[in-house]
Amino acid sequence: MQEQEVIFKVKRFNPEKGFWWQEYKLKVDRFTQFTEALRRIKSEQDPTLSYRASCHMAVCGSCGMKINGEPRLACKTLVLDVVKKYNSNIVTIEPMDYFRPIKDLIVDWDEFYDRMFKVKPRLYPSKEVLEGKAEHRLKPEDQKELWKFAQCIWCGLCVSACPSVRIDPEFLGPAAHAKGYRFLADPRDTITEERMKILIDSSWRCTYCYQCFNVCPRDIEPVTAIKKTRSFTKLYKEKSEVAKRGEKHTEAIFESILKTGKIAEAAVYLKTYGILQSLIDLIYMSKTGKLKYALVQERYVQNIDEIKKIMGGESK
Amino acid sequence: MKIAYYPGCATHGLSKDVDIATKKVAEVLGLELVEVPDWNCCGGGFLDEYDEVAHVALNLRNLSQVEKLGLNKMATPCSVCLHSHRLATYKYKEDKEIKKKVDKRLEKTSIKFDGKVSAEHIVWVLIRDVGIETIKKNVKKPLNGLKVGTYYGCQMLRPEQIMGFEQAYNPHSLADLVAATGATPVIFPTMTSCCGFPLMGSNPKAGLKLAYNVLNGAKEAGADIIVHPCSLCHLQLDSLQIKIQSEFNVKWTMPAIYVTQLLGLAFGFSPEELGIGKLAMEVLRVKGVI
Repeated sequence: MQEQEVIFKVKRFNPEKGFWWQEYKLKVDRFTQFTEALRRIKSEQDPTLSYRASCHMAVCGSCGMKINGEPRLACKTLVLDVVKKYNSNIVTIEPMDYFRPIKDLIVDWDEFYDRMFKVKPRLYPSKEVLEGKAEHRLKPEDQKELWKFAQCIWCGLCVSACPSVRIDPEFLGPAAHAKGYRFLADPRDTITEERMKILIDSSWRCTYCYQCFNVCPRDIEPVTAIKKTRSFTKLYKEKSEVAKRGEKHTEAIFESILKTGKIAEAAVYLKTYGILQSLIDLIYMSKTGKLKYALVQERYVQNIDEIKKIMGGESK
Repeated sequence: MKIAYYPGCATHGLSKDVDIATKKVAEVLGLELVEVPDWNCCGGGFLDEYDEVAHVALNLRNLSQVEKLGLNKMATPCSVCLHSHRLATYKYKEDKEIKKKVDKRLEKTSIKFDGKVSAEHIVWVLIRDVGIETIKKNVKKPLNGLKVGTYYGCQMLRPEQIMGFEQAYNPHSLADLVAATGATPVIFPTMTSCCGFPLMGSNPKAGLKLAYNVLNGAKEAGADIIVHPCSLCHLQLDSLQIKIQSEFNVKWTMPAIYVTQLLGLAFGFSPEELGIGKLAMEVLRVKGVI
């Protein structure tokens, strides 16, 4: 088997010294995962190096870290794939962002677990089922809807990459939303109202940056779960200001497209923010010299009947 | 070279300057932009949360219009429009359930999508199809001395498996274009962070904070000005500068211009011809570029 020498630059940490970079050299072949490389470095070169890894097959979610800056599962990433992608035999390994470092590549997950437990990540069945008087039924089409979002392995990579959790303590984060939606949309569950209370306000605090979609090693698409959660807003009565505004904004966009085939910015703005805030923002806009474009009248879609047919479907 | 052109609502609205500059630059480079006939909105990144099937179907309508023109690429200057069309195509091809529902909606329309057209970012077309060398040849007024922060944002890069043009964690398309103008590209830690625009409809305070983080990141890295690839980032980062100033109590500005506006300056157009905003104009004047 052909082997290649790779230089691993590891960002290490301990509470006494803080962060420092350390280099290790290792010969790897095309089957060597990062967890295997780390295991060999630890056993052959440096027993003080600390990292988490368990199953080595992308199931346990222990080995999340940053490899060449990308949040990845170390076990699901082959060293030579990274060497090839970046065209360099020097690779960097760092602990995940956002979480508090404990030692080297190990970070504190308490904060992540708190987020997950906030969404009550378990099924609350009916009394009949609990008493053994009835059985659960799950239709294949319902299972299909839940399946993707049930695949989370709690690795924390999406939260480590999420910009909204950093600036907004009210936002539950991508993994918790994927898990939350998985139970919100489960017809066997009985606490829908409570789940909406937990999830809906938070869902409008996502910024749709697609980091979570990009980094998830299980292709769960947490952002898709968030979008689907938002669609429950219309069923929920006690909406927060954030949810109310967001819902108005999306409705305004839908209505504008239905009517004109395009987004009439001024109308959407007015409906979302109301007249007062719109006027204040107009003043800001005039200072940057952009006001003239607010008056541009875009041509509507000519074949508006076609747009209406497209948008008049069953899921509205 | 002839290519279909999808401006999108913002590019024909509050970010009209993006449209103006892109058309001027394309003309210089011999790139014929054919506007998609009777195009419709892509959903602006929000419609799919309201009606996923309508979102896919609307995007396919645009792409099918391009197929009717006999072209195989549809370039857009807006990252959100790009993202929306590519995501819709991906879902239609990969998700049988969605395909079934979309086909049902399209039944009574003239829309027929054969999957021959792909949505592309204008930046990708400039780099891959036009080429950096051709761009360099057309530089009449090198922008030497100007330090330009290269802001990529989200939707042109992520998800990498659907966008696919460059590495989401190591992008350099904008740096290549900036370097071609003679200006110095400046990379900064928040260059692939979100500008906050998608939060402005629901949680504007948080949206502004994200915008501030981007501008501040470029400021700390020593940039004079930012270039970006998106008509909606344009609304957020350029139009909201004064609001950000008052909200975060800062004196500085970090004007953001669209990448073709920067190319246009190097090609010899005046900032007025390119629709460049007041704040950017001030910086360019101070730096001796105009």
